[in-house]
Amino acid sequence: MNKKRRRKARVNSEAPDDQSAAEFSFSLTRVAVSQICLSVGYTSTDTSSTLNTLTLITTKFLQSIAELAASFSNSANRTEANLFDIVNGLQDTALSTSDCFPGGSTLHNTESHCLIKSAVLRNLSDFVASAFEIPFAKPLPRLETSGSHGGDSTRMARSPEMRSFPAWLPPFPDSSLYLEPYTKERSDHLWENSDSVIGRETFVETSGVRSSGRLPLRRASVRFKMGRDCSNGGGSCKSDTRLERRRDDNDGEYGREFEAKKKIGEEYIYCADIDAGEWNM
Amino acid sequence: MNHGQQSGEAKHEDDAALTEFLASLMDYTPTIPDDLVEHYLAKSGFQCPDVRLIRLVAVATQKFVADVASDALQHCRARPAPVVKDKKQQKDKRLVLTMEDLSKALREYGVNVKHPEYFADSPSTGMDPATRDE
Repeated sequence: MNKKRRRKARVNSEAPDDQSAAEFSFSLTRVAVSQICLSVGYTSTDTSSTLNTLTLITTKFLQSIAELAASFSNSANRTEANLFDIVNGLQDTALSTSDCFPGGSTLHNTESHCLIKSAVLRNLSDFVASAFEIPFAKPLPRLETSGSHGGDSTRMARSPEMRSFPAWLPPFPDSSLYLEPYTKERSDHLWENSDSVIGRETFVETSGVRSSGRLPLRRASVRFKMGRDCSNGGGSCKSDTRLERRRDDNDGEYGREFEAKKKIGEEYIYCADIDAGEWNM
Repeated sequence: MNHGQQSGEAKHEDDAALTEFLASLMDYTPTIPDDLVEHYLAKSGFQCPDVRLIRLVAVATQKFVADVASDALQHCRARPAPVVKDKKQQKDKRLVLTMEDLSKALREYGVNVKHPEYFADSPSTGMDPATRDE
């Protein structure tokens, strides 16, 4: 006996919220269905499975009408269903449950646009007029929420700026997960302060007042280093003597304009002056 | 012209009837509560702020259940009554909703419900012991 109790307890601990919400709504529907059966004339059922079956069919009926109405509204580029969607859904449901549905041909008449011609709606109108009112047996606590939240009381009401989002969508994640706070460190990650600039400390000192990224016309030259296997306009730097050869070849013509320095360690430092101003490469 | 006027009047009457029906929905309280109906509607992606439309769906569901129950009641009453010895028992006839009547009623609505009459421990339960393979 104790082992059975333990097994039952283990089963109930899995996903309690979803199960309890579904069970709660199912038990409420069962109460309503039993009230309707009592009004028809029944006093009892032979087994609990009979009442459960009828309750399950009731929930499926509700959901099928909702799905049909939602699909009709979505087909018309709308997210909110209106009376036309519901009546069309009821007509489709009546088509599957009965042999004929009088008034269905005039439902989509472009001249009249009147829904009361539908037999389904007329039957419902007669039902409301003739049937006795049967209020629900137990009072339900009224939730202080606006709109449809899917019956989920754990979901908080949306803030005013989020009202444009439909309520049936899941809530947004915590803002700390997707909002990156702006920090001052980002402004320091400028190229001038990176390691590729030689003598950046002196550069920072002599630069003076920064003018929001705009470079002055006359500015000091910037010397930077490049890797060994860098490509310089059509060829990789293969040997140390390449510069020397180039200098020897071009000395006559570009000697005044181009000046190449020897490599220092594993890196090459280029420094070139061109007649058209202080252009340092 | 006459035909146009008549159709206009008919349309006006139809609109008035529809408006009156929707207004009567606010006075009529369905058995299924609005919150419960909203829960199932939202579960299926139905979104509507108008309470009257939610009540319309609730009334349609109530009518469906009432129709099914009344059809089952007719099947129950159509069954030949058993021989009653005690006169008191005949007067206090209690109507019991059985799975048999419910399945017959639901068949007309396109729902096939089959309920097994009994459950057995194994496939060979109830068989003749001589023919049972051990």
